[in-house]
This record gives sequence, structure tokens and C-alpha cells, in this order.
Amino acid sequence: MIPLAIGGWSVLSSAGIGRKSLVEPLKRGEAGTLDYGRKVDGLYQEPLPTATAHALVDFDVRQILGRKGTSALDRRSALAMVACGQALEDSGIHVDDSNQQRIGIVLGTTLGSLKSMNDYTRETLVEERPYLVNPLLFPNTVMNCAAGQAAIRYGLKGVNATLAGGDLAFMHVLRYSANLLRCSYADALLMGAVEEFTPHSAWATRLTKAASAELPAGEGAAVFVTHQNGGGNDGKLDGEILSVTTGFTPCTEGSAGIARALEHAIRRTLADANISTADVTFIATAETGSAEEDCVEKQALTAIFGSQMPHRIAVKKLLGECHAATGALQLAALLTLHQENPDLNGRISLICSWMPDGGVGAAVLRGRSRGGPDHR
Amino acid sequence: MNRVVITGLGPVSSIGIGKPAFCEGLRAGRSGISPIRCFDLTGFPHVCAGEVHQFRPESLLRRLTPSAWGRSTLFAAAAARLAVQDARLDTDQVDSGRMGVVMGTTCGESQVAEALAAEILKHGFESQSPELLQQAPGSRLAHGVSEELGATGESLTISTACSASNYAIGYAFDCISHGEADVMIAGGADSVCRWVHAGFFRLGTLAKDACSPFDRNRSGILTAEGGAALVLETLDHALARGARPYAEVLGYGLNCDADHMVAPNASSIAACMRLAQGRARIQPSDVDYICAHGTGTPSNDSVEFQAIRTVFGEAIPPVSSIKSMLGHTMGAASGFGAIASCLAITEGFLPPTINWSTPDPEMEGLDMIPNQARRAEVRIVQNNGFAFGGNNAIVILGEVV
Repeated sequence: MIPLAIGGWSVLSSAGIGRKSLVEPLKRGEAGTLDYGRKVDGLYQEPLPTATAHALVDFDVRQILGRKGTSALDRRSALAMVACGQALEDSGIHVDDSNQQRIGIVLGTTLGSLKSMNDYTRETLVEERPYLVNPLLFPNTVMNCAAGQAAIRYGLKGVNATLAGGDLAFMHVLRYSANLLRCSYADALLMGAVEEFTPHSAWATRLTKAASAELPAGEGAAVFVTHQNGGGNDGKLDGEILSVTTGFTPCTEGSAGIARALEHAIRRTLADANISTADVTFIATAETGSAEEDCVEKQALTAIFGSQMPHRIAVKKLLGECHAATGALQLAALLTLHQENPDLNGRISLICSWMPDGGVGAAVLRGRSRGGPDHR
Repeated sequence: MNRVVITGLGPVSSIGIGKPAFCEGLRAGRSGISPIRCFDLTGFPHVCAGEVHQFRPESLLRRLTPSAWGRSTLFAAAAARLAVQDARLDTDQVDSGRMGVVMGTTCGESQVAEALAAEILKHGFESQSPELLQQAPGSRLAHGVSEELGATGESLTISTACSASNYAIGYAFDCISHGEADVMIAGGADSVCRWVHAGFFRLGTLAKDACSPFDRNRSGILTAEGGAALVLETLDHALARGARPYAEVLGYGLNCDADHMVAPNASSIAACMRLAQGRARIQPSDVDYICAHGTGTPSNDSVEFQAIRTVFGEAIPPVSSIKSMLGHTMGAASGFGAIASCLAITEGFLPPTINWSTPDPEMEGLDMIPNQARRAEVRIVQNNGFAFGGNNAIVILGEVV
């Protein structure tokens, strides 16, 4: 794989907005003083499963982007649109007639917005006439809405792809993006993933995840700009994705089978990047804090690293269960460490992902510390 | 760079399940449109769609337990099983890590999402079934296919709406041509559901009982469902196991209108055609047949024709819309288009645009193969796919020479 050079990024999560927003949560994580989210009562009229959750409670897209073109956006589209705009700005790329055909977006999701789909169905069931739905909201029910809306706002006419990968979405985004650049379908890409906090997502997490008592639902979006010819316009790099592997194992194999598949994916991606286990400084994990869930990852990592376990960063414990956004938040957390500590320049990190139905993925990052003034 | 060929076709459609029935349906110009059965139609002025009433997942699937998966995944997995059988591919003989899956979709497990909405409405959020919630993610489509076939390579669901199957075929083509996989199963699936029917009606783009693309009086789409899957492999892999390829994937093009969420854009679509043709190293004059996106809405067909005219000038090849027969199968649509394109090449016929009666004066010079299939020698096909979000994807397929 040709390395994906990252020059420019942004992140939104319950911790805030922008490249500096993960600094505090990461410090708290190191200190072991976890934060159980924000008070979310009042965020929605519908009941929520927990009084606190990892939601960006004061997020208002109109305050950030204005009213024009934002009134019909659902929450995930709004989060993604803000992240895309900030990442693009951070990259220094100026979009104009000369380059807009060659700049695209690759965005990861679980299923778009369950709330948008459900609200639409609900209207057909409760309205006097079942077809009295709002036509302006119809595009929100489709999974590629966020990427399509962001393309319109920023004038990006290159490849526009949405990948429904669930917890593995961002690993797929990296692989898909690497292929687009390798085959020269694009010169630059906004690579990201998004998940929204709604009653629907919160209850889905509560009812399906073993760890949901300790780990409430969250939300987030992170977008990274990759360039065919290296970093952003100033040539400064935030990091390079050296390799990405995804795979699948039949669920008949159980959690031991998923652990073996994850181990295999990690070994393969380290080999593809020509990196030895001793070179890995950090692992951004998908740990939830539930022993029942975490045993898969633990088994895979222990088989590879034994007692020489690199330092682990568990973003879900800091930012909640953000499903499709998780992988992007893992990368954002690693890049935050590099941004804050230039001594880490060139160090190698591993990102792990897996899903209970058998999907596994891993990526290798070489972090850079580009220096220079921060935008926010 | 490996040459990539298509060796297996798996259609699960309203006009036929499996290649022989589907091919016969295309040739006969059969309509798969019927009154909707999957939801209560009370209060809906329009009541027709392209449901696959004959679909019996348990009779097609070997490994998946139908009750554990949503309808769209069952369509995808059944289509994949049929495609593998059609390819005479013994999956046990393939290195499972070098067999991957890419499935496209618009609304994923829409019927599951609707069942959840009904549960919430009746008994509140906490009453939702965990089993249904686990069936809802879009990733289930590709994962269900991987599970059914025992494929352990990449397993990806692309959710770029109604052109998603073409994205899937394109990505599978790249993976194989760069040597990352020996075999890829590519295609797409979607299910008929209430909210999509209501949404298109409200947009004013839902036909009453017949979809008539390229007709002056066309009135819109009919929602539809199904699964389309194709087996892609390297030419060498195919020849080594004695398979007979239907067609070669010559290239594909992707771009984005970045203009409007639902209205198509002629210049952007023309640009996408040029991208695809450039990638496939062909000229417009090399194209023998265009398998159109052809939804039957006034705006799509007019914009698609304008784009074709821009790229092909006066020499427009025959253009037909199989959506006239199937309805709009959403994420499966360009997969069915690719299957029809393969059949056009190997069986030597052009699928018709049925329900056609009145010429549209704005489309002078367009041969839409009205109402009856036609014998023809077809070497190169352009398979168009456009979508909400301006996600255009066009695949070029050619005779294997």
C-alpha cells in the first residue's frame, strides 16, 4: 500500500470541537479520572437510557456554519459537514475550478441516521395520510446524505463515497481511500467517519452492548485530509497511515475466532508496513471497559506483544461508544499526542477495530509533529 | 495489473431468480411490478412496487439462518450463492483470505429499521428487540455474504445509494487487478419499504402502476427490491479452473455533482461518462449499448439523455432501461444493470425498455429499444448508475478477447 499522508484534520466529540479538543480527555485518561459524559436530559423530548452520555450537548450547526444550507440537516450530516470544513481549512487546500474535480470525500457510517429513518417511518404511521412526509427531509433517510451534503457545501466534485462499516467503518475508509489514490482516481481526499447521539442510537447501544452500563453512547466525527503528493499545501505532515488490513471471520468461530482473525489482521498490517512489534509505541484500542467484550482484543494483542505491551489509549472510555466514529477518534487521539509532544515525531502506533459479527481491522500510523501555529 | 473478468451472475429479482430466469425475463420484456404486500397500503394513492414475492431464502442459502438476518442481507447472500453456483466456483478450492465481498446499498436493512420504528411507536424505546437492532447496520449486507460463502478477505458495504453496485464492482475490480484478491463477490441489495415509497410519492416522482423511461409521459419510478451479485476474478484464475467468462471489466468512473441532493446534473454525468471511458481506454464510438440509469422520472431521463448527447454527439448507441421491468431496485440497480450487460454481450441481445409508447421530442435520435428485446452483437457496454447525493458511478464492460 502507498502510505496515506495526512496533512490537516479536525475532530468533534463530547469533549469539544477542533484539534485541541482531545488534549484534556487524554490527560484525564492518563490520570485515570474518567468522565462519564455530559448531562443529556433536555437534549431530546424522547426518553434516554442514561442521564449522562458522551454527547456534544451544545452543538448547533447554525452557529458554526450559518443558516444557509443547514436547516434540513440531521445531526450526523451536520457533525460531518463541520468536521469536513475544518479539516479542509486546516489542510490549507483552497478548492477552486482547477482542483475540485480531483478532491473527494470518503465517509464511514453505521447506517446513516437511524433517527432520520425512524422519524420518516413514524410520520407515515401517525399522519392522517401516510404520505404526508416532509420531502425536504427525505435525503436524510439515505446513508450517503452526509457526504453528499458536505460535497455540495465545499464544492468537492471528486469521488464521493460512503461506507457502511459500523465499528470498522474507518478502517474501510482508509483502505478505500488508499485505493483511490493508488489508482489516481483523486488527488486529495477527506477521509472521516461520523456517528450521532440520538435517542435511537443511545437505546441501540444500551440494548445491544454488554458494556453499556459503564459506557454510554457517544457521538463524534473526525476527518483527515490526505494528499497524493504528501501533506497539506504547506507540505507539513501530521502523520502517515503506512498500512491497513481488514478481514472477516464467520461467527460460527465465536469470540476466540474473532480474536484469531484480529491477531492475523494486526500481524499482516505490521508486516505490510515493515514494522516490528518492538517499534510500536502506542496502541489505540477499541476497549470498552467490559471484560466480556474486551477479551477479544486482549487475546489478540497478548498473542502478538506478550509482556511487551505498548501503551494503550482507549478512546471509548474517554468519549463513549461512538460506533462508526470510533476508528476516526482513535486516529485523532494519536495525532493529538503527536501534536502536543514533538519528541514523539516518527513514532509508530497501531489502531485496532473489531465487531461482534466477525469484522476485524488494523492500521499502522507513523505520527508526525508538523509544528507551526495551530488554528484552534 | 491483472485482467479482471466476470464469471458468475446471481440475480434475485422480481422478473426471475437465477440467471436463466432473469435472462428469459429480460428477453421477454417481463414486468415485475405488482401490488405491494409487505406493508399496509391504507391511505396510499399509489400501491405498486417491484417486490420479489417468490423469494424463499431458505431454499437458496446454505449457511445463513434466515431468521437471524434482515431481508436485504438475505437478498445479497442469496444472490451471491447463485452467482458462485453460476460461476461453478468451488469456494472450498479458493484461498478464503483471498476471497472478498463488496456489496452496495441505498437503505440497507430498511425493513428492520421500520420494524424498530413500529416497536418504538407501540411500546417505547426500551421495548426494541436487541435481535432486530443487531440486524440493522449496513455492514450486515457484506458480512452476511462473507458468512454464507466462508470468505475471510475484505468484507465491505458501500452505501452510496442507487449507484452503489457500480461502486462495488469498481472497487472489486481494483482489488483483483492489483493482486490483493483472487475472487471478489460484488453487487448490491435493497428491500421495498414504506418510508421510501412515501418519500418518492411526496417528491412527486412515484409512478402509479408502470415505469416508462424515455417516454414523453413518463411519471416516475416504482420502488423495487432484490439482490444482484457478480463473481469477479482474474482472467488467469478463471482460465485455470476452466471457467467461461461473461465479460471483462474494462474500467469505471466516479464523480460527484456537488450540486443538489436529489436533482441530477447533466454536465457532471457527462464528465463521469468521459472518466469511465478514459479509464477503460475506449472511445464513445466503441460503445455498442448503454444500460441506462433510466429511472423513468422526467428529470433523470432528460438529464441522462443530455449527458449522452454531449458525450456521444449524433452517434448515440442503443440505450435501454431495465428499470422499466424491475422498477428501481435502489442499491441493487446498477448490479442488475451489470448482469444485464453481461447477458447482452454473451447472449447477443439488447434488453428492452418496456411500457414505452410516446416519443419525447426532447430526445430525438434516441433508440430506447422500445418494448421488445432485439438481437444484436454487443462487444462493449456502458452501465450507468446515478444516485442521491450526486454520487455518479459508471462501469464499462467488454467482451473477453
